[in-house]
Amino acid sequence: MAGEQIPAVVELKIPCRPEFVGVARLAMLGVASRMRFSYDDVEDIRLAVGEACTMAVERGAAAQKNDTVITINSEISEGKLSIEVWDEVGPMQETSQASESPEDLDPDEIGRVLMELLVDEFKVEPTPEGTLVRMVKYSG
Amino acid sequence: MNLKMNTRSINDGASLIDLEGEIDVYTAPNLKQQIINLLDEGVRHVTVNLTDVEYLDSTALGVLIGGLKRLRERDGSLDLICPNPRIKRVFEITGLDKIFDIYATEEEAVKRLQVKEGT
Repeated sequence: MAGEQIPAVVELKIPCRPEFVGVARLAMLGVASRMRFSYDDVEDIRLAVGEACTMAVERGAAAQKNDTVITINSEISEGKLSIEVWDEVGPMQETSQASESPEDLDPDEIGRVLMELLVDEFKVEPTPEGTLVRMVKYSG
Repeated sequence: MNLKMNTRSINDGASLIDLEGEIDVYTAPNLKQQIINLLDEGVRHVTVNLTDVEYLDSTALGVLIGGLKRLRERDGSLDLICPNPRIKRVFEITGLDKIFDIYATEEEAVKRLQVKEGT
């Protein structure tokens, strides 16, 4: 990282379709690798961003809005990676009550659980236009 | 970013699915279809080999849970072979390691399967 300027912003837009979620994951591997994250942390970031994109793609499929885009905005700052994943697939439907058993979790719930556990800060902000997922991971 | 899948028969009622690659929202439907095909063929015990899987997400977990539920309805089982700690961790942090029987090797999984079939 010597000589590199901080902060830096990387923005990626992908089609809101299943085959492009892997592209976002690959890009996040590159972004997270620019920072002093452990191998496990980099993998956590990759999975968390994959989950955020998957949530958007599945909501997009349900709303027949797979012609929209997902924007992934990553801000690298000293010891901190802030990621925003924003979709344009319309308002979020209320999810069912939290399940008592892991066996009864649906993939959407599992995705949320994973994101909450994999990053240090996690917030979902529904808007009429779509959903914004904010995540922060601290390095070191 | 692809998922390779190979299905082997262990015996009349048991099959093993070898997976290689990434299981995500794009590829998980292929795994789901394969499990449904095995159910249609009358298979009651399915073992999914995740040894060569390098990435797995919530959609993959959803497919595996769905398969497990359908097989249990037939008094069957869906077990996993998962020696990769990185992949196993996804099951552990979601609590799903308590739902699935997870083995480190194929030999161990097949041995336990024979015990299950015998009961």
